[in-house]
Amino acid sequence: MFLQTLVTGLSIGGIYALMAVGYSLIFSVLSFSNFAHGAVIMLGAYIGLALATKLHLGLGLVAAGSVVGAGILSVCNERVAYAALRRRRAPSLYLMISAMGCSVFLENMVYATIGSRFYAFPEFFGRRVVSVGGSTLSLLDLFAFAVSIGAILALHLFITRTKMGIAIRAGVNDMTMCSLMGVNTDRLIAVVFFLAGAFAGVAGVFLGIRYFVYPTMGWVTNKAYIAAVIGGLGSLPGALIGGLVLGVLETLVSTYVSSVLRDVFSFTMLIALLIWLPNGLMGHETEDKV
Amino acid sequence: MNPGANPPGRCLEVKGLHVHYGSIHALHGADLHVDRGEIVCVVGANGAGKSTLMWAIAGVLPLTGGSIALNGAPLPARAHEIVTLGVCLVPERRRLFTALSVRENLIMGAVRRTDRDGIALDMEKCFELYPVLKERIDQRSGTLSGGEQQMLAVSRALMGRPSVLLLDEPSLGLAPLVTDALFDTILRIRDEGVTVLLVEQNALLALDIGDRGYVLQTGEIIKSAPCAELAEDPLIRRAYLGEE
Repeated sequence: MFLQTLVTGLSIGGIYALMAVGYSLIFSVLSFSNFAHGAVIMLGAYIGLALATKLHLGLGLVAAGSVVGAGILSVCNERVAYAALRRRRAPSLYLMISAMGCSVFLENMVYATIGSRFYAFPEFFGRRVVSVGGSTLSLLDLFAFAVSIGAILALHLFITRTKMGIAIRAGVNDMTMCSLMGVNTDRLIAVVFFLAGAFAGVAGVFLGIRYFVYPTMGWVTNKAYIAAVIGGLGSLPGALIGGLVLGVLETLVSTYVSSVLRDVFSFTMLIALLIWLPNGLMGHETEDKV
Repeated sequence: MNPGANPPGRCLEVKGLHVHYGSIHALHGADLHVDRGEIVCVVGANGAGKSTLMWAIAGVLPLTGGSIALNGAPLPARAHEIVTLGVCLVPERRRLFTALSVRENLIMGAVRRTDRDGIALDMEKCFELYPVLKERIDQRSGTLSGGEQQMLAVSRALMGRPSVLLLDEPSLGLAPLVTDALFDTILRIRDEGVTVLLVEQNALLALDIGDRGYVLQTGEIIKSAPCAELAEDPLIRRAYLGEE
């Protein structure tokens, strides 16, 4: 029972981590909370749903389509809603308000065009399970966990090993100097939004498979925000650890205490963290010589 | 601008430059030029507009009037396009990527280049110039000492193979010995064919290595002469060299 709960927790935590990574990436580059991230996740799920139910594609192609689609939507979101503000050096509060506007707009667009119905993905995994030492683990859980970890590791390699990745970290450090090295910062920011959107696409598909696809499903990014804060906003390993910690603790609470208390627990944890550990587990105040 | 009107050897030509910081008129009508292979100094007090001039040439601050030309052609509007033409800025207070390692800072200096072999060769050259950087290659650059950070800032700019190097207050916060070594390096860089525009508050040092100099005061060029002449000018000596 415990092992089963743990794996379910890790799987949900992996999805939180995928969302938190996208959130953290954008936060670290533009220093604002992208409230439209949830809407991109939701649209990613709808794209996946359309590919699965209308074109009857397999899970691999569904996920790939959703990754590319949500990535492009995320880039468009930046171009339309943030680029002009960014160029005028608007305070990050304005970007945040613009993001909220996008989120409300996109949700209502979906209400108006697709409707408020809950849709379910076809069963990719059926009810298949794996038996380990007497406990039965769902194949979906194991798969979601493995993909989440794999994707985040790949992102880590990308930003530490490739020239583009180093340029992104340099931009996080000092965007003006990054452009003085010859980097087109508009393109750099587009790449960051594409990556965040791609992760949102994967998260959307997994959320859709696990639960349902509906217009307000993106609100679950609240959890991604908590995960990012647990790990330390802007820290990539932090987003991973934070997501997993939150997923496991939540699942333990709903299994052993009460599922009604799950969200109460998560948000209490957020408040407690913001008071006592505002830098999170992995975020550290950097000490630099002037 | 008519390219035919460009005098031979003219590298950088700044004409009637106006720059505003919000409502502050930081530069009003500055004229200066730099010929190929020269070290040109701009001296002036704090707040005279020296850094503004540098940020404007590098394309970070928008011009509100006047023009800047490189080899007779107007400079493009955006910073990353200007760097591509070989104009590299080492800004005041160095502005390293402090969260990145020494190696990553050097890679960033060459980020727009695609010649892998050339980049590796230039990195070796930087390590010959500053062996201490090789010892610290995987260290986070924010943890280096002030002098080491300046070495890295200069190396990072050299990794971009500049034809024009803009140096903004390179001596700031450095010990005298470290500063002397740095200025020797600037001379060496010039001897390798790089044109240098140097902005310094430490006028004595700058006028010592420069060929020609300009005096900038409250956003205007008030004097221009060979450095040796400026160094002897009683007015300059009183205002910037601390003589009574």
